[in-house]
Amino acid sequence: MNRRQFFTHSGVGLLGAGLISRAAAAALPEAASADSAATQIPVAPPNGRPFHPVITLNGWSLPWRMKNSVKEFHLIAEPVVREIAPGMVAHLWGYNGQSPGPTIEVVEGDRVRVFVTNKLPEPTTIHWHGQILPNGMDGVGGLTQPQIPPGKTYVYEFIARHAGTYMYHPHADEMVQMAMGMMGFWVTHPKDPNTMRVDRDFVFLTNAYDIEPGAYTPKVNTMLDFNLWTWNSRAFPGIDPLVCRLGDKVRIRMGNLTMTNHPIHLHGHRFVVAGTDGGWIAPAARWPEVTVDIAVGQMRAIEFTADNPGDWAFHCHKAHHTMNAMGHQVPTMIGVDQQKVAEKISRLIPGYMTMGSTGMSEMSQMQMPLPPNTLPMMTGEGPYGPIEMGGMFSVVKVRRDQKPGDYSDPGWYQQPPGTQAYEWLGELQPAPRAAAGRARPGDMEMRVKRNGHAH
Amino acid sequence: MLTATRTLLALSLPLAFAGCAQLQPDAGLGQVQQEMQTRLPAAALPALAWDKGSATAEQRRAQVQALLDEPLTADTAVRIALLNNGELQARFAELGLADADRVIASRLPNPALILARQVQGASVEIDRSFLFDLLSLFTLPARRDIATRRYQESQLATAAAVMALATETRKAWYDAVAAAQTSRYLTQVKEAADAAAELARNMANVGNMSRRDALQEQAFYAEAAAQREEAQAAETAARERLIRLMGLWGQQTAFQLPERLPDLPRHPEQRSEVEAIAMRDRLDVLMAKREIEGLAKSLGLTRATRYVNVLEVGYLNNSFNDQPRQTGAEVGLLLPLFDWGEARNARAEALYLQALARTRDLASRARSQAREAYVRYRTAYDLAEAYRKVIVPLRKQIGEENLLRYNGMLISVFELLSDSRAQILSVNAAIQAQRDYWKADADLQNALAGASPRFDALSLARPAQSASSH
Repeated sequence: MNRRQFFTHSGVGLLGAGLISRAAAAALPEAASADSAATQIPVAPPNGRPFHPVITLNGWSLPWRMKNSVKEFHLIAEPVVREIAPGMVAHLWGYNGQSPGPTIEVVEGDRVRVFVTNKLPEPTTIHWHGQILPNGMDGVGGLTQPQIPPGKTYVYEFIARHAGTYMYHPHADEMVQMAMGMMGFWVTHPKDPNTMRVDRDFVFLTNAYDIEPGAYTPKVNTMLDFNLWTWNSRAFPGIDPLVCRLGDKVRIRMGNLTMTNHPIHLHGHRFVVAGTDGGWIAPAARWPEVTVDIAVGQMRAIEFTADNPGDWAFHCHKAHHTMNAMGHQVPTMIGVDQQKVAEKISRLIPGYMTMGSTGMSEMSQMQMPLPPNTLPMMTGEGPYGPIEMGGMFSVVKVRRDQKPGDYSDPGWYQQPPGTQAYEWLGELQPAPRAAAGRARPGDMEMRVKRNGHAH
Repeated sequence: MLTATRTLLALSLPLAFAGCAQLQPDAGLGQVQQEMQTRLPAAALPALAWDKGSATAEQRRAQVQALLDEPLTADTAVRIALLNNGELQARFAELGLADADRVIASRLPNPALILARQVQGASVEIDRSFLFDLLSLFTLPARRDIATRRYQESQLATAAAVMALATETRKAWYDAVAAAQTSRYLTQVKEAADAAAELARNMANVGNMSRRDALQEQAFYAEAAAQREEAQAAETAARERLIRLMGLWGQQTAFQLPERLPDLPRHPEQRSEVEAIAMRDRLDVLMAKREIEGLAKSLGLTRATRYVNVLEVGYLNNSFNDQPRQTGAEVGLLLPLFDWGEARNARAEALYLQALARTRDLASRARSQAREAYVRYRTAYDLAEAYRKVIVPLRKQIGEENLLRYNGMLISVFELLSDSRAQILSVNAAIQAQRDYWKADADLQNALAGASPRFDALSLARPAQSASSH
């Protein structure tokens, strides 16, 4: 196909899309909007085919309307203010008031019509990641459709052919728009709601931002060195717990729209990897894990039985991804004698305190004033002390007395007597601490220099 | 006998004209004092005195010592300089000379009585001549006027010298205070570098920092220490210049300067008529006016004497022992009236035109200097305000923000320290801007009511020059 033919073909395709658009424009479905980052527990579908809705962590599912057996949704691409965690908001782009956008839930075989209104200052499109649909509905700007200009509404229409886990995101100025938070979850439920039925079905997208401490807007040109690692644009302690009733069958579906992989690790349970964005894995082929690595652009659905009561950490196993904004260039101060020099520095810089001589945990113990709109690098207060986490960290809470369908936070888990680590109070052998060691031959020379330097 | 009677008569005549001129008490510094009262603040202006004896010297020393016992303000520094500066005393002596010249010019030259005895073989000739500059008698009022004007000019020149010394001293005081402040701030910069270097050494010792990075911090420290040394030398130099202008030595040099420069006034001086003020108040302009008047009169004087350039009246009595005595008045003209007169007139005109041209030049320069000094003053004000109100607060805010980032382990202590160095240097730059404002203020006062630097060169060359080269 030469260039001319290409445009001719796409022109034909567009003519069709344009007709749809005009037909529907008479009555755009109402675009619901969310104004908070709270998890909204969806109700059972009021119309259309029945399904068991998913729980979008710190998010919501978009209401639809049925029109002549077509499920109509209305997404509005627009600038939003998203609370990353209490104490920090981000100026992002998203859909219908939040980033990520609302989860779209449909049933296998549904005819779906999505109106997309562009309220961004630049053109956008939506690509329906993983869906099998007509080429003209794939949402790749320039390639399969013209971009949606600011102020315009385009209509996507296709049949949700395969039950499974999908996501949506722009394919126009993609790097910028994804760095700004434009993405959302899509679940196509099976026709039979009892197929692979679970009691709790959680979904979230991993995303990452680079927001300078004290700033609000992500640096869109950052490639890898992000400082906020989030689930559904939330960072610990802003991510809601995944609350389960003991014995529940639990599914967690995760998609990765960051620029790096995330080995997601669950404590206290063994799970199986049950699905990818390519579909469900045959039961016999599912493999057990306690950590599932999600590569860039991938989705994974894990399933397990919540058979172990407690508060179970659930997090990305990249330790730096369970931190909030931090200075990667800050030198290691462990073992460095700072006491004498601290006096000198304090004279020059009132308010200065030495930090890091024994590690960084003092960071989460001391409440030090930080730049505005900045989350502490590690934070969170548990029943037994600081949790010292940030970023991609939450807790799966398994409780015997949690009611079915109740997702409210049951509080901290009380371990039964005798089931918690305890301090040894018996006789102690003296355990001298390791001396700060000299490791390199060059150090001797360094010491000579120090002695020779008078000041 | 008859001759003797005539001579006595001739001598009594000029004395009757000239008898009124007297030396001024204190060489006429009173007028200088009066000129300065509108030009210097009262706190900066002592009773100007020409130090002529040990009694006044003692009094002056006591005055100076009393002023030195308190921390020195710009005004008291000026006061001390005006009391104590040796070169100013020399200028006062010059005023004394002008006063003496004035008095001399008010008197007729003494008549000359010449007795000559000539022996030619046996004949003895006794030549008695009584010479009297007759013209002096006629030109006396004019010459007296000239000398008086010269004296008045000298008074203005003295006032300009006082103004110049006051300006230089004031500027030297600002320099000295600012240099001490800078020296203290650079000590802080050194301390910041010292802390960073020490920390780097500690880190290298336990293996947390490479030798290269630690050496870098050491180098920073060494450079900061060198800069502080320079600042201390500059502090000494600035203080010594102030000491020289105040004419101090020995124990006197142990005076105290305030910790910091005075604050800027709330608003800068608004002067729309700087050129007019300069034309009205500048001492060099006033002097040039006097000079022009003097030369005009001088031209008139030359015209009056055009036909009698030098007229000498001499009484001659040639007595030869063998001849009858010749008695009579001898009237002599040394050069032809006409040519000499023409030349004299042309010279006076040339002098007059030259003075006119110089005055014109001075006036245009004075106006330009006044404008420039005012613009410099306003610019210095705005700059100092920008540092005080904008740049330093911004640096401080940045420092506070950096501390917050350090708290969050977002930046290292080294960044904190290097930021603190930047902050201190901005405060130092603010001090220099403040100093420049005050110096510009002093220059403006001098440009409006003092004299041009070129004029100063005549009276107080050295301080003015070393100031400009500083």
